[in-house]
Amino acid sequence: MTRFIIIRILQAFVAVLGIAVIVFFLIRAAGDPLDLIKNPNMTQEQFEAVKTRLGLDKSYAEQFWIYLTDLARGDLGDSILKEKPVSEMIAQSLPNTLKITVPAFVIAMILAFFLGIMAATRRDTFWDQGVKFIAVLGQALPGFWVAIMAILVFCVYWGVLPVPNPTKQSLAHYVLPVGTIIFFTLPGMMRLVRSSMLDVLDTEYIKLARIKGLPERMVIWKHALRNALITPLTTIGMLIPTLVLGAVITEQIFNWPGMGRMILESTFAKDFAVVQSITILTAILVLVVNLLVDISYAYVDPQIRYQRT
Amino acid sequence: MFSITPTIEVKKPEKQYTGLSRRARIVRKLSLVVPLTVMVLMVIMAIFADLSWIGLPDVGLSPKAPNDGVARDKLLPPAFMEGGKSEYLLGTDRLGRDVLSRIIHGARVSLSVSLLVIAITAAIGTALGVIAGYMGGNTDGFIMRVVDVALSFPGLVLAMLLAVSIGPGYWTVVFALSILGWAGYARLVRGEALRLRDSDFVAQARVNGASSMRIMMKHIFPNVLNSLIVIMTLSVGMMILAESALSFLGIGITAPQASWGSMVSDGRTDLDRAWWISAFPGICIGLVVLSGNFLGDWIRDKLDPRLRQQ
Repeated sequence: MTRFIIIRILQAFVAVLGIAVIVFFLIRAAGDPLDLIKNPNMTQEQFEAVKTRLGLDKSYAEQFWIYLTDLARGDLGDSILKEKPVSEMIAQSLPNTLKITVPAFVIAMILAFFLGIMAATRRDTFWDQGVKFIAVLGQALPGFWVAIMAILVFCVYWGVLPVPNPTKQSLAHYVLPVGTIIFFTLPGMMRLVRSSMLDVLDTEYIKLARIKGLPERMVIWKHALRNALITPLTTIGMLIPTLVLGAVITEQIFNWPGMGRMILESTFAKDFAVVQSITILTAILVLVVNLLVDISYAYVDPQIRYQRT
Repeated sequence: MFSITPTIEVKKPEKQYTGLSRRARIVRKLSLVVPLTVMVLMVIMAIFADLSWIGLPDVGLSPKAPNDGVARDKLLPPAFMEGGKSEYLLGTDRLGRDVLSRIIHGARVSLSVSLLVIAITAAIGTALGVIAGYMGGNTDGFIMRVVDVALSFPGLVLAMLLAVSIGPGYWTVVFALSILGWAGYARLVRGEALRLRDSDFVAQARVNGASSMRIMMKHIFPNVLNSLIVIMTLSVGMMILAESALSFLGIGITAPQASWGSMVSDGRTDLDRAWWISAFPGICIGLVVLSGNFLGDWIRDKLDPRLRQQ
C-alpha cells in the first residue's frame, strides 16, 4: 500500500512538471508575451521596466529556470495588470468562490445520492420517471441559459428573489448562484448513482440477502448502498471540470467576485501570468483529487491494491 | 449401443411477450422522428444559411444579413407579440439585428465546431485506445494515466490559456475542445480492444503471422467501430453545449460572428425589456442537444445494446 501511494505521488509530481513545461512553452510559442503587455500608452521606459520586473529580458532557458524554481517555492509570480502577487489575488477571491461552490457541491451530492437511490429502488414508477426527466433536461439545457432565465423569472417578473449580491449576508442572495452550480453538478451524478444502484441490486448477494428474509430497508441501506457508492466515488475527479465550468459561468452571470471572474478577467486582459499560474494550480488540484480517489479506492477494493502498483 | 441424444430444454418465457402497447409504440416512434427532424433542420440551416460557399452570400434561408443591424428597428419584440414587425419573426437585438437570422447562422458555427472536434478527437482517441488495449503493459499504463488526467482537467482553463496565447476565435475553440476530448474515446476503445485482444479470431490472426499493426487495423478496429459511432453521436450534444458555453463566456466565437452562446450572453444587458434575445438561442441549444442525445440513444440501441445504461 505504501509503495502504491509513493509511486502515485511520484507520478503526479512528474505530471505537474510536465504540465508546467507545456504551459510555459505554449504561452511563448504562440507569440512573445511582450506583445501582450505592450500598449500604446506606455513609454519605452515603462515598457523596459515591466520587462525587467517580469524577467522577460532574460533568455528562455533562464526564464524557464526561474519559473520552475519559483514554482517549487510556491511563488506564483505577479499579475502584469494589477501588479500584485497572484497568490494575493487568489486569497481575495477564493473565499467568495468557496461560499457558493461548497454549499452547492454538498447539496448536489446529497440530492444526487437520495434521488438516485430513490429512483433505483422505485424503478419505473413516477419517481423514477421524474428523476430521469430531470437528468435528461439537466444534461441538455445549457446552464448559463437556465441561470439567465431564472433571473428573468424570479428577479424581473415575479420579484421574489433579489439579484444576487455577494456583499449582502442574506441567504436569498445565495439561492440563484448556488442553484446554478447545483444545476451543473446534479444530473450527471444522480444518473450515475441510479445506474450503479441498479447494477448492485441485480447481484447475487443482494438476492441472497432478500431470500434470507432481510427487510428491504436493511438490504438497501446496509448491503447495497456501500457497493453502489464505489463507482460514483471514483468519478468524483471527473466532476472537477463541471464544477469549474459551473463556478466560472455562475460568477460571470451574477457578477460574483470569485476565482472564476478573476481568471476570466485576466483572460480578457491577456494577463498571461495569472492564467498560467491558475492552469498549473488546476493541474495540481486535479492530480491531488485523483490521487486521493485512487488511494481511497484501493482501501475499499483490495484487488486494486495489488494489481496496479 | 446407446445413442446419446442431447435434450435441449426449451424454456417458455414466463410472460408471453405481447409487444408494446399502442401508446408505447407511438412514443417510441416519436422519440426517433422528432429528434431526427430537428437534426435535419439544423443541418439544412447550417448549410443553406447563406450560399457564401459558392459565392452567393445574399441568397439563402436567413431572411436578413446576420450582422447588419437597422438602428431604428432595435429591440423589436417577436412578430407574434404586440409591437413586433412581421419581417422580424423572432425580434431584434439592441443593434437592430434579426434574431432569427443570427440563430440560423449560429447553427453553422455550432454544428461545424462539434463535427470537427468529434472527427479529431475520435481519430486520436481511437488510435491511442486501440494501441493501449492491444499492447497492454507499460504502454497501456502510461496512456491510461494521461487519460485519467485529461478526463478530470477542466477544458475551460485550457481554453482560457489558449485564448490568452493565441486569442479567442473559432480555431481556439476547436483546439481547446480537442486537446482533452480524445480521452473519453481512448478509454472506451481501450476497454473494447482489451476484450477483443483475447478473442479467438485475434489469436488466429497472430498464429497466421499477422503483425501487431495489421491486427490492430484489420481485426480490432472494425470491431470497435459500432461503439465508436454510438459515442460519436452522443457527443454531438456535448460538444454543442461546450462550444456555446465558451462563446457565452466570450472566449469562443467572438463578435460580430453569430453563435448561440454569445447571443444568450448579448441578451443579458437588455434582459428586463427584451427577453427574446437570450431566450430563443438557448431554446435552440436545448432542442438540438436533446435531439442529439435521443438520436444517440436510438443508434446505441440499434448498434450496440451492450452499452445501454439502465
